[in-house]
Amino acid sequence: MSLYIFYISNSLLLLCLIASLMQSSKIINNKIFTRPGVIVLAYVQLISILLSFLILIYLFLISDFNFDLVYFNSHSEKPLIYKFSGVWGNHEGSMLLWILILVLFNFLFALSRRISERFKEITVAIQSIMIFGFVAFLFFLSNPFALNQNNFFDGIGLNPILQDPLLAIHPPVLYVGYVGFSLVFSLAIAGLITKEVDQRWASIVKPWVFSAWAFLTAGIALGSFWAYYELGWGGYWFWDPVENASLMPWIAATALIHCVLILQKRNVMQSWTIILAILTFSLSLVGTFLVRSGILNSVHTFASDPGRGLFILLFIFLILVFSFSLFAYNSEKINKINSMGLVSRGTGIQVNNWLLITILTIVFLGTMYPLATDLLLNKSLTVGPKYYSTTIAPIIILFLFFMFISPRLGWTDTKLYKIIIQLRYLIITSLTITLIISLYFELFNLTEILIIFFSLLLVISSMTASINFNKQNILVRTNLGQNLAHAGFGILMMAVVSNAVYSEERIYNAKVGDNLQLQKYIFSFDKIEQVEESNYNSLKAYFLMKKDGKLIDIFTPEIRFYSNPPTITSEASILHKFFSDIYLVMNVPQDQQSISVRMHIKPFMTILWLGTLMIIMGGIISASIRIGRFDEK
Amino acid sequence: MSSLVKSRLIKFLLSLIIVSIAVLIIIFNLRDNIIYFYGPTELLKNSDKQGQIMRLGGLVSVDSFQNETDSVFYFSITDGKNEIDVKYEGILPNLFAEDKGVVVEGVYMNDGRFIANKVLAKHDENYMPPEVIETLKKSGKWQGE
Repeated sequence: MSLYIFYISNSLLLLCLIASLMQSSKIINNKIFTRPGVIVLAYVQLISILLSFLILIYLFLISDFNFDLVYFNSHSEKPLIYKFSGVWGNHEGSMLLWILILVLFNFLFALSRRISERFKEITVAIQSIMIFGFVAFLFFLSNPFALNQNNFFDGIGLNPILQDPLLAIHPPVLYVGYVGFSLVFSLAIAGLITKEVDQRWASIVKPWVFSAWAFLTAGIALGSFWAYYELGWGGYWFWDPVENASLMPWIAATALIHCVLILQKRNVMQSWTIILAILTFSLSLVGTFLVRSGILNSVHTFASDPGRGLFILLFIFLILVFSFSLFAYNSEKINKINSMGLVSRGTGIQVNNWLLITILTIVFLGTMYPLATDLLLNKSLTVGPKYYSTTIAPIIILFLFFMFISPRLGWTDTKLYKIIIQLRYLIITSLTITLIISLYFELFNLTEILIIFFSLLLVISSMTASINFNKQNILVRTNLGQNLAHAGFGILMMAVVSNAVYSEERIYNAKVGDNLQLQKYIFSFDKIEQVEESNYNSLKAYFLMKKDGKLIDIFTPEIRFYSNPPTITSEASILHKFFSDIYLVMNVPQDQQSISVRMHIKPFMTILWLGTLMIIMGGIISASIRIGRFDEK
Repeated sequence: MSSLVKSRLIKFLLSLIIVSIAVLIIIFNLRDNIIYFYGPTELLKNSDKQGQIMRLGGLVSVDSFQNETDSVFYFSITDGKNEIDVKYEGILPNLFAEDKGVVVEGVYMNDGRFIANKVLAKHDENYMPPEVIETLKKSGKWQGE
């Protein structure tokens, strides 16, 4: 049985290779492969990969340990959902998922209408060259369907820290984001080849780039949320290399979506848009594969394999060389000189583009510097998180200012003082609120105050801008997506700053019966008990949280002991309130009498996630509204 | 000068200024926030590093662990050649044990003692921090592949 599956799945991969090769050949206007058409081949690519992915899921579900991948990453006693998510909790499976999304985007684009046939052919051909490369890599170097000769009775199991419902969906969502930019990249290359990077091109690209961006944002947010409650350190972002690897394409993509917007409206910045499209996709590749390659030393490195990193580096290198030589050759022909006013919305967006690139450089240097010293000087070192916060904070202030002012400026030269006068009430309101906040909460750090002030300006102005009446007092259609995302970003920044300033931590060694204090709350250590679950045993402590003698909530932090593979994890117990989270973690007792408990007050966490959610919603709205407006001029 | 050239020139100069300021800030900040990693032998060679924040890694020496109170701990970190005594106040991670790999962050004091303010947590029982492997290889005590 296993042998049949082995042959079928590998033939499916080969079938996809052939279809992609035929699809790629259409890049030259040849007569050999005019048939079968683009759509037929796209169907073949999609169905072959989809089937092999389903087969892999099936193998995990029935725990067929004849396959190496299942043996190393699954266990028969694992709950069903984690057998399922175990499919992409490893290198080969996640590669297959990555390819599945790659062919899915290829397929969806092949089906889209109102795009010239030749342009579509070229885009799909570029996309298929990548599909070919990755399927070949999968087939020859990391085949998920490799058989072993032994009859293993049971598998090794999935890392318990990955056994979490959120981590079941985090990789697929993140991958849709990363891979979405592959299509944007293909579109950029097709634009370079046909020399048609214009307003029409921008409106074709827009829905794809916005949806990829929204998914990437959601993927990062899910990962951050997972780290917050699963790692048990009370933080949501650690400036860890793996986190940075996902943040870098996000920053580039954020610059890109704004460039696509200006290109569509004003037909300017063609070259820069193309460069950003190439950059975003290259960084997405870095994000996916350097994480998997094990080159980055990180707490999040799961399923790593250094040997494969080389292939990916080579691939990124080829993409960069190819696309930039094409760019150098054709860039003169895509640029049209169109001026924007000096004080205009376009300039504002351009300035923020530069600021984003600066932040990108900061993150890039911080992430790569330790790698470079390790490889070149054989010296290990780490860059402390303070580097990022102190360097990025001043830039964020400028960034927030331009985010606030740019949408208020016209596309042509605008008089700045007129705008300021127009917005005087807004500015006075924000100033007052900031003053009250800083006096009441004793916030006297200039950087922090400025971030709060400009965030407030941004939030209030975005919110008021989304409610817009015309002269007849009728609500007019406004740019809801943009305003929602911008307001969300302001809210996020305020939450990040206040969270950093007002977080509190207490550490106790507690015995049953002890009363521990955190601010105005008392935690009574009620009892500790052992719990047996299907795939782990756990030690569960009960803390009664009281305020003024009244019971408010019961906290149950846990320590879980997994046996397949043997690992210990701490499960935090968190109470989410609107203005702050209360967070309890315990650790393995040093002696039998007491346990170590760490308590955190994390203010504004709910608001922080809310801001992030608004950004994602904004992206989704912007992506979907524009799908119906392809040939709007 | 035409207005187009003028506006481009201003934009160019503006971005040049922004970029150079940014690069300066980045470089200075990066230099201030680097945390070096040492093994015990390396640290003893670099005794001028006293007073700086750094990371120290190796194996927790056998029979070196003591707790003064519930949250003040003493132990030694070894690479097989040399040992450094560590004092740590706080919570030890779940997988902390003698003869296992460990990385601590803190300050190397003048009296040769290392005062740790963080013991870095790892999740996997078999996980060995890459720096520790490197340290053990340098001292010739690495047993693995």
